[in-house]
Amino acid sequence: MAKGMLIDLTRCIGCRGCQAACKQWNDLPAEPTSNWGSYENPPRRSANTWTTVTFNEVSEGDRLDWVFAKRQCMHCEDPACAAACIVGALRKTPEGPVVYDDHKCIGCRYCTLACPFGVPTFEWDTPVPYIRKCTMCVDRQAEGMEPACAKACPNEALLFGEREELLQEAHARLEAHPEKYVDHIYGEKEVGGTSNLYIASVPFDKLGFPTLGPEAIPRYANVAMAAVPPTIVVVSAAMAGIYWITKRREQMMSQKVSVPVEQWPKPDQDKED
Amino acid sequence: MTAETHVELNRSKQPFPVVTTSILGVLMAIGLVVAIIRFINGIGAISNLSDGRAWGLWISFDLYCGVALAAGGFTLAATVYILNLKKYYPIVRSAILTAFLGYVMVIVALMVDLGQPWRIWHIIIYWNPHSPLFEVGWCVLLYTTVLALEFSPNVFERFNMQTPLRLIRTIQIPLIIAGIVLSTLHQSSLGSTLLLMPDKIHALWFTPILPILFLLSAISVGLAMVILETSLASKGLGHQVDLDILAGLGKALPYLLGLYLVVKLGDLLVAGELDLMFSSGLYSLLFLVEIVGGVILPLVLFALPAVRLSRTALLWSSLLVVLGLVLNRLNVSLIALAPRPGTMYVPHVLEFAISIAVVSAGILAYILANRYLPIAEHEHPAGHRPVVEVG
Amino acid sequence: MTNHWIDIKNSDVILIMGSNAAENHPLSFRWVSQAMDNGATLISVDPRFTRTSAKADIYAPIRSGTDIAFLGGLIKYILDNELYHTEYVVEHTNASYLVNPEYTFEAGIFSGYQPDVRSYEKGTWWYQMDENWIQKQDSTLEHPNCVMQLLRKHYERYDLSTVSSITGTPKADLLKVYSAIGSTGNPDRVATIMYAMGWTQHTYGTQNIRAAAIIQLLLGNVGRAGGGINALRGESNVQGSTDHCLLFHILPGYLKTPTASYETLAAYVEANTPKCNDPKSANWWQNYSKYAVSLLKWYFGDNAQADNEFGYHWLPKLADGGNYSWLAIWTAMIRGDIKGLLAWGQNPAVGGTNANRVRKALERLDWMVAVNLWDTETSSFWRRPGADPASIKTEVFLLPVAASMEKEGSITNSGRWAQWRWKAVDPPGEAKADSWIINQLMIRLRTLYEADPGPNPDPILKLAWDYGPDEADVHQVAKEINGWAVTDIKDSEVNIIVPAGKQVKNFTQLTDDGSTACANWLYSGSYNEDGNMMSRRDNVDTHPAGIGLYSNWAWAWPLNRRIIYNRASCDANGVPFDANRFVIRWTGPETKWEGDVPDGGWPPGEKLAFIMRRGGRARIFGPTMADGPFPEHYEPWESPVLNPLHIQGTNPALWDLERDAKGATHAYPIVGTTYRVSEHWQSGAMTRNVPWLAEMQPDMFVEMSPELAAERNIKNGERVIVESARGSIEAVAIVTRRFRPFIINDQVVHQVGMPWHWGYMGLVTGGSANELTPPVGDANTMIPETKAFLCDVKKV
Ligand SMILES: Nc1nc2c(c(=O)[nH]1)N[C@H]1C(S)=C(S)[C@@H](COP(=O)(O)OP(=O)(O)OC[C@H]3O[C@@H](n4cnc5c(=O)[nH]c(N)nc54)[C@H](O)[C@@H]3O)O[C@H]1N2
Ligand SMILES: Nc1nc2c(c(=O)[nH]1)N[C@H]1C(S)=C(S)[C@@H](COP(=O)(O)OP(=O)(O)OC[C@H]3O[C@@H](n4cnc5c(=O)[nH]c(N)nc54)[C@H](O)[C@@H]3O)O[C@H]1N2
Ligand code: SF4
Ligand code: SF4
Ligand code: SF4
Ligand code: SF4
Ligand code: SF4
Ligand SMILES: [Mo]
Repeated sequence: MAKGMLIDLTRCIGCRGCQAACKQWNDLPAEPTSNWGSYENPPRRSANTWTTVTFNEVSEGDRLDWVFAKRQCMHCEDPACAAACIVGALRKTPEGPVVYDDHKCIGCRYCTLACPFGVPTFEWDTPVPYIRKCTMCVDRQAEGMEPACAKACPNEALLFGEREELLQEAHARLEAHPEKYVDHIYGEKEVGGTSNLYIASVPFDKLGFPTLGPEAIPRYANVAMAAVPPTIVVVSAAMAGIYWITKRREQMMSQKVSVPVEQWPKPDQDKED
Repeated sequence: MTAETHVELNRSKQPFPVVTTSILGVLMAIGLVVAIIRFINGIGAISNLSDGRAWGLWISFDLYCGVALAAGGFTLAATVYILNLKKYYPIVRSAILTAFLGYVMVIVALMVDLGQPWRIWHIIIYWNPHSPLFEVGWCVLLYTTVLALEFSPNVFERFNMQTPLRLIRTIQIPLIIAGIVLSTLHQSSLGSTLLLMPDKIHALWFTPILPILFLLSAISVGLAMVILETSLASKGLGHQVDLDILAGLGKALPYLLGLYLVVKLGDLLVAGELDLMFSSGLYSLLFLVEIVGGVILPLVLFALPAVRLSRTALLWSSLLVVLGLVLNRLNVSLIALAPRPGTMYVPHVLEFAISIAVVSAGILAYILANRYLPIAEHEHPAGHRPVVEVG
Repeated sequence: MTNHWIDIKNSDVILIMGSNAAENHPLSFRWVSQAMDNGATLISVDPRFTRTSAKADIYAPIRSGTDIAFLGGLIKYILDNELYHTEYVVEHTNASYLVNPEYTFEAGIFSGYQPDVRSYEKGTWWYQMDENWIQKQDSTLEHPNCVMQLLRKHYERYDLSTVSSITGTPKADLLKVYSAIGSTGNPDRVATIMYAMGWTQHTYGTQNIRAAAIIQLLLGNVGRAGGGINALRGESNVQGSTDHCLLFHILPGYLKTPTASYETLAAYVEANTPKCNDPKSANWWQNYSKYAVSLLKWYFGDNAQADNEFGYHWLPKLADGGNYSWLAIWTAMIRGDIKGLLAWGQNPAVGGTNANRVRKALERLDWMVAVNLWDTETSSFWRRPGADPASIKTEVFLLPVAASMEKEGSITNSGRWAQWRWKAVDPPGEAKADSWIINQLMIRLRTLYEADPGPNPDPILKLAWDYGPDEADVHQVAKEINGWAVTDIKDSEVNIIVPAGKQVKNFTQLTDDGSTACANWLYSGSYNEDGNMMSRRDNVDTHPAGIGLYSNWAWAWPLNRRIIYNRASCDANGVPFDANRFVIRWTGPETKWEGDVPDGGWPPGEKLAFIMRRGGRARIFGPTMADGPFPEHYEPWESPVLNPLHIQGTNPALWDLERDAKGATHAYPIVGTTYRVSEHWQSGAMTRNVPWLAEMQPDMFVEMSPELAAERNIKNGERVIVESARGSIEAVAIVTRRFRPFIINDQVVHQVGMPWHWGYMGLVTGGSANELTPPVGDANTMIPETKAFLCDVKKV
């Protein structure tokens, strides 16, 4: 069964325990930062910061909301990053996590562009760089533990479990408290569904989540890629055919002027038609 | 068939371009130093690339533009060998040279851009057939090989190596066809790579038929590049090509550009997005410049016989097509491609240094090849034409 | 906390005021959230919109320092709308007591004020007593001199408009808060109050909490599941340190530190043992002598005997009226009275109010020993920016110490749970456990005294101290805290209850005849013959109503009672006011009380609920406070406005040692406050040295409203200067709608806020907010007023 995480933003208190726990578990170094007029730091995710909590001041008229949103890889059901990866270094596992194979990656960074959530990050400042992103703590899962961030969360904002069950839980919460939540489980449908699901009290576009349709990102590329084998056949056949025709016509013409077949005609014999 | 090959090299005709080559050499040296820094300190040390924008000048210009601009090779090969339009024979070699150099430049640039270029061979053993880039990678690899083979007679002739020449000759047509197939695939697949960014590319450019648009525009620009490059080479290297040949190519362009235009606008029409052409601010402007300046204007120009009768007009008109394509590729893969929120990208000077070095190397190689290899066929009297004309 | 963390889940209304639980007690929010899942209303009252406010159903802004006005308005609202729980109020509080008719309150001052010493003579605040010396009562609560009527009268002035004009809280917000909390006067509903430094750090901090207590008593919410007054304690073991009384005025178990005038043990005990003739009052403190003598037996062992008053004379005595509190220490240092300092597990160069003065005071020392995990601003005060190390003579020693996970022991959390912790890893390098350092210190002092006794060696040489040559055995210490029988303990029939050498079961077995020794009566029962109760880890909730007591997890003082004053959760017949969430209930003579450990096992009606109070009832009227029996709104020491209630203005009994350090309103028109952020810990030593935390909050910042920023032409993210009469620091401006200007007395008053976590040491450094804060303290506790002062901000 595929695992996932239900992230209930109404429960997130922005403590960033998850952010620190992720670094601790994954041995990620701190980054040099400076206060840029916000509590948020590091300002964005990077190869050394796989998850960040964003602090969103959302005002509606007189009302002010301060909504905290932990962001990391969504572990898409049909991940664009994996579709993109030139060597198949990124892969969706049946257990849920979208994993990365250090040994394959050539560092082309196509995955970073393909990901609709801006997730994969690259080691820009090393001579032997890799892609880095949240792993859903597959290594911990292998030992029967929940992800480090979920473990650290003091307020049960990060619920780790079977995606199907989490989805039901999310629906149950929306139904029980329609006054508290917007009627949207982000990740249920987005880009064909993601292992990580979010529920929140304000619309997701106000929290910096991209607005995405239900179709998987690789849908167009898949069509194009499917067209490759027929294209090979059709183009080869067409070219051979045309060649055969033009050659034959040339033969016939050259017979008329008694030029040996093997010999190339003089260029000026061919007039534009 | 005569056994001996008569190749008259033009090295004797013009003095060696010392100034030009020195300038190119300096530019290449600068690029080399920058590349060394990159290999010691990482890509971040010499570029403004970031997670916010992981592909920049190198991919947009060196790869997307580079590959399209090198399309002259396969279009001309098709014209001459498959369509059997022998009139264009005199320029096919230089077109193939340009293509070959173009692809080598692309690969060199990728060596700098890839995080771990020494693993490029991974695409041979680790397959991901779903990835458009995987296909591009394979095609570029194979096509460069094909181009090398197509180009090899120049070298074999130069050094009078008959056995390989014969060998190449026997597989000439399959090779040409393979080149065309590969080009069709990867020219279009370059468009497919962008299909994985449906929500990031501005709707004026994003369309599921990007691969088709990429292919069509590549064919047009291939021809335009041949005109442009041949005209420039005529000037710079002093070998004249018959105006007739250039005009002939020019005559095909209105049809190709027209087809591209119809497909492109038709697609917008079908998608109901035509109004974006005027309602998207800067993007509309860029789009219109690209379409009007790079497609419609040259289409009209090439349709005018007067233009086709003037070398200068041909040169400028083809330049329009080339610039239009460059703008198109930059638009679709750089300008109209949204970076991650809160980030922006302006290429670093050192990124330009790399691209300039790569282009310099290409130009230098072109000059040298033209000097020392039997490229400029058309200058030879008919009787001195080489026996094997492999493109 | 009267209750405990998990109990918060039982609340219907949660008032978080004077604390920022989401940021400073993140785990508490698990229980807040669970309560909200069950429909509870969360209220956040804070000068700024915090991470707590972000989760609240109701947020009400309040100008720093005006909580008593806010709460006084609530008291009036409860009284005016008769929302109080009458039965509870009559049965369990002193609302019915008649007060001395000479008690008055005029022009902001209670009767008995002595301006020369700036303190109160509290005689007129006492109750009227009958011939048996039992306080007179009027259960109808009608008598004009009864507490209830005095309360009404006192808060008459706190109408909505007045409150709003003081606090700056919009009236609509006040009403929302008042009606939500007022709704819990209904016995079916219950409210809890979570407070911390936002209430305490004022010159009337204790009165803030008194006001909350009055409200909770009126509503009948004390002793109840989901109720109570809950101080969210700070440092992880600050509750334990308070219980063991690491303060100048108390000894372990909240016994009083002797003063010079108590010349004998008998006099000391007599003075501190409350007397009450009301047979219904348990008056638990009547056992004072047992706890005091057992403590002395622990201190001095066999040296403590009846004939030497158990060594009472070896205890240091305070000068009468002497003050040795935090603020006073630095003054004494500057005066040269204090020559040496053990800065043990603290960093006053950052945490101390008016920190520049603290840093200066350290220069006056001959020596200082810093016992710490890090080289802090305190241990490196002599090389702080602007200091000339060559001219500073203080000899500084830095002893590296083991961190909490590098040693075994217990810590007591806010909910009074003493939890055993095991050592996880060895300390690095030369670091040693605190107990090792203390043990070595004592051993060496004793050797020195033995060699050269000097005039008064006995306190050292008579001390019973035998913890071996190394690290003290924490189990031995814990057992001593529990107490044991020194000689056989016998009952009145001379049966041996506890044989000599055995642990006492709990403090009910302690005696004042020298047969028992106990280091802290409050913890008696934590490590008895049944074992180390603090190490229990049974996470099954055995309470029949499932209120989350987890009584077999660790151990809570006193006697493993999880909710104190729990007898007040029932009426006089032992019937719980709220059957669904009962804490204890009387099930008849056989099973007696069911549920939590009751506050004394007497049958209902036999004894009153508040057994630690002399009269057995909780105090709505507080006659022992230093600054008045009812909380009154005073302005902070530094305030931008006049007090509309009276001309007195500030608390007449507040503590100010340096009056010249006060800033003028025209020079410093902005209200400043200081607080914490989740990402940093206190003075920052523990977090600014941790890269992962340093990167999250790298710079000192000051938060302000867009309106103020516009006035001062400050943009978000710009560096600014914050200045007060004490100092000036640089900070990054965070301009945010989470701050708003207040309308006070029809004038616009701006407030800014800043964390106090930065200093000049560590991975990330920055200005210390305490360079700005004032050197004044609360009338009762002397805690510095670091939550409200005057300052100014301008562009760098
Ligand atoms: N992350 C973290 N947690 C901590 C600590 C830490 O340093 N970092 N320290 C621990 C310690 S020792 C303690 S004592 C506790 C303290 O815990 P808290 O008391 O919660 O801590 P503060 O942030 O100092 O103050 C709480 C709130 O009071 C508000 N406030 C300021 N003035 C007033 C006022 O006049 N009235 C009201 N109603 N509110 C006001 C502030 O805006 C702030 O939001 O936290 C403990 N927990
Ligand atoms: N302006 C302003 N000032 C304030 C406050 C405020 O709200 N505003 N809050 C006040 C409050 S509530 C408090 S509690 C004080 C806190 O003031 P301090 O207690 O001075 O601050 P901490 O940083 O907690 O200092 C604890 C020190 O103990 C060290 N330490 C940690 N573990 C151990 C150990 O096991 N053994 C030993 N020996 N040392 C250890 C840490 O490294 C740290 O240096 O600050 C007060 N100051
Ligand atoms: S969120 Fe991005 S990186 Fe993560 S699985 Fe989806 S496409 Fe891949
Ligand atoms: S950077 Fe690595 S993981 Fe990403 S697409 Fe390229 S090869 Fe795959
Ligand atoms: S699942 Fe693991 S890797 Fe992903 S954010 Fe959480 S802690 Fe980090
Ligand atoms: S640990 Fe939990 S509550 Fe804290 S920021 Fe992360 S998700 Fe939010
Ligand atoms: S004591 Fe520790 S676990 Fe508990 S809330 Fe504070 S930091 Fe979190
Ligand atoms: Mo504290």
